[in-house]
Amino acid sequence: MNLLESLQMAGKTLLANKLRSALTMLGIIIGNASVIAMLGVGEAGQKFVNKQLESLGPNVLFILPGNRETQRISFEVPKTLVLADAQAIAAQVPTVMGVAPELNTRQVVTYRNRNTNASIIGTTPSFPKVREFEVAKGRFFTDIDIKRNNQVTVLGADLAERLFGTQNPIGEQLRIKNSSFQIIGVLEAKGSSLGANYDEAALIPLTTSANRLVGRNSPYGIALDYIVASARNSQSVDAAEFQITNLLRLRHKITGEDDFSIRSQKDALQIVGQITGALTIMLAAIAAISLIVGGIGIMNIMLVSVTERTQEIGLRKAIGATERDILLQFVIEAIILSAAGGLIGTVIGSGGILLVGALTPLKTEISPLAVAITVTTSGSIGLFFGVLPARRAAKLDPIVALRTT
Amino acid sequence: MKTPSLKESLSSTLETREIIRLENVFKIYGSGETEVQALAGVNLVIKKGEYCSIMGASGSGKSTAMNIIGCLDRPTSGRYYLDNVDVAKLDDTELAHIRNQKIGFVFQQFHLLPQLTALENVMLPMVYAGVKPKERHYRATEALKRVGLEKRLHNKPNQLSGGQQQRVAIARAIVNRPILLLADEPTGALDSRTTQEVLNIFSELNATGITVVMVTHEPDVARQTQRIIYFRDGKVIYSHLTADQLLELGSR
Repeated sequence: MNLLESLQMAGKTLLANKLRSALTMLGIIIGNASVIAMLGVGEAGQKFVNKQLESLGPNVLFILPGNRETQRISFEVPKTLVLADAQAIAAQVPTVMGVAPELNTRQVVTYRNRNTNASIIGTTPSFPKVREFEVAKGRFFTDIDIKRNNQVTVLGADLAERLFGTQNPIGEQLRIKNSSFQIIGVLEAKGSSLGANYDEAALIPLTTSANRLVGRNSPYGIALDYIVASARNSQSVDAAEFQITNLLRLRHKITGEDDFSIRSQKDALQIVGQITGALTIMLAAIAAISLIVGGIGIMNIMLVSVTERTQEIGLRKAIGATERDILLQFVIEAIILSAAGGLIGTVIGSGGILLVGALTPLKTEISPLAVAITVTTSGSIGLFFGVLPARRAAKLDPIVALRTT
Repeated sequence: MKTPSLKESLSSTLETREIIRLENVFKIYGSGETEVQALAGVNLVIKKGEYCSIMGASGSGKSTAMNIIGCLDRPTSGRYYLDNVDVAKLDDTELAHIRNQKIGFVFQQFHLLPQLTALENVMLPMVYAGVKPKERHYRATEALKRVGLEKRLHNKPNQLSGGQQQRVAIARAIVNRPILLLADEPTGALDSRTTQEVLNIFSELNATGITVVMVTHEPDVARQTQRIIYFRDGKVIYSHLTADQLLELGSR
């Protein structure tokens, strides 16, 4: 008996029991659909996060006060970075193109009768260059504004729109914590990245922020929340990190553990990669378990089927079917069930992925690799879990089988 | 005195060909205290072209003998030659091949596959024999014609009467042109009219040279065969009963 005929025969048998075949497949369908959907959504999520990270700029280094230990355990991070550090990095590290220190606070911002709560970012004129922002209207503040502690501000796009609507905000006066600031510019909208949204913030000169809003809170000068430095190009990121580390160790007279830490986009990508990788493995493991459960379902039903079809098996043996013929017949039935279930599950899973893609900002896509893996996996599950019932069928004694009524 | 024609002498040599030869066959089930001796030294020869029935009370060993003759079971000891082949020397796959090629089975419960049509049921033995689909179709149609079911080719078993189902089963049994037709209580589930139909088909088949061996417990059925073999306690006690002798046996 050849394979094609075995397939036809198995198909006929399965179609004769449509409801049972469908229910048997259900486990595999669900397993496969969840594998496909979870892998697809997981991959899309990873891509989404990576894109957010890349929006920071590939050459950007974040220099944070405190080492990893203190950052983790304390609510108030020690203010170990000061403006002088930022200036030293800008002046002395050759691979650094620009340095934008930040001293931030949250304040109520008032324009006439409208007020809102906004992030007030104290920074330097290098901010637009380092963080790749364009000034949409007006100008950014200059070194003179820094030197003179000028009360000027550049608004994020969304904040400007919220306070002024269509009105031109340039030249207007804004109150931030009881001080009056003149609006000199509006930034271009850029959207949020990693929770920080400069579109909702007001930017002021760092010195003004320190003297008027936050206060001088370090004996070494103006303490900073963090420093953002941009390397000249992507090749010099590692060199810049090394040089900044050395410079800061010298300046802080560090012999033991660093009192600052440097993060690059690469680090962040790596961390995110680890997290999403672990999540994906976890999801895949859950899905794989459901596939195995589906396979056990197939085995279960096939065993019942063998018992039920004892007479048929006996007859087939009596008229000349060999053990191999019977084995093949039942294994093929199991494989058809699981492969068809796998295919249907793939279609459903892919549909789910497309739905997620349509309803959420995640750009989901169906991974052909995942499809290939799941369909072959479910096929082999059918083979694996089909062999036991098939062997039992093949070993049936035809006399006993024919006598059963 | 007339010299025998070539045809006659040929047919006489053919008729002496032994299809079944059982030599001192024992079949023992279980072991120790639960040991059951189903066959206790059976000797039996059935020649080509014979039409015989096997009778005996239940537990007399007739079914076990049928299973061994049908190569569904092996003797515990003794020898069984089917068409001069020592069956004991064959493995399971070769036995399956023998059942497929040399033996046709007819059962009391018909054993047709419910999801297949009459034609497909009859084609089944040829599927296992590896016959080409086109020829399969032709031969199955011919076999169904032979049992008078040419109008029921595409009916499923549940659309056929009991007699028709048994005729489909007979068509299936003869479609691979076996030398031996084994029928186990073939009329047990049929009424008297359809019983006669089935027996007529057996007679016709026998007339074309197929050896027919039938297990039955109905004397009326056995009487229509040429030879009656009677089993008791796992042994053949009469190997050539005639219908009259059977009647006598029954009346005693």
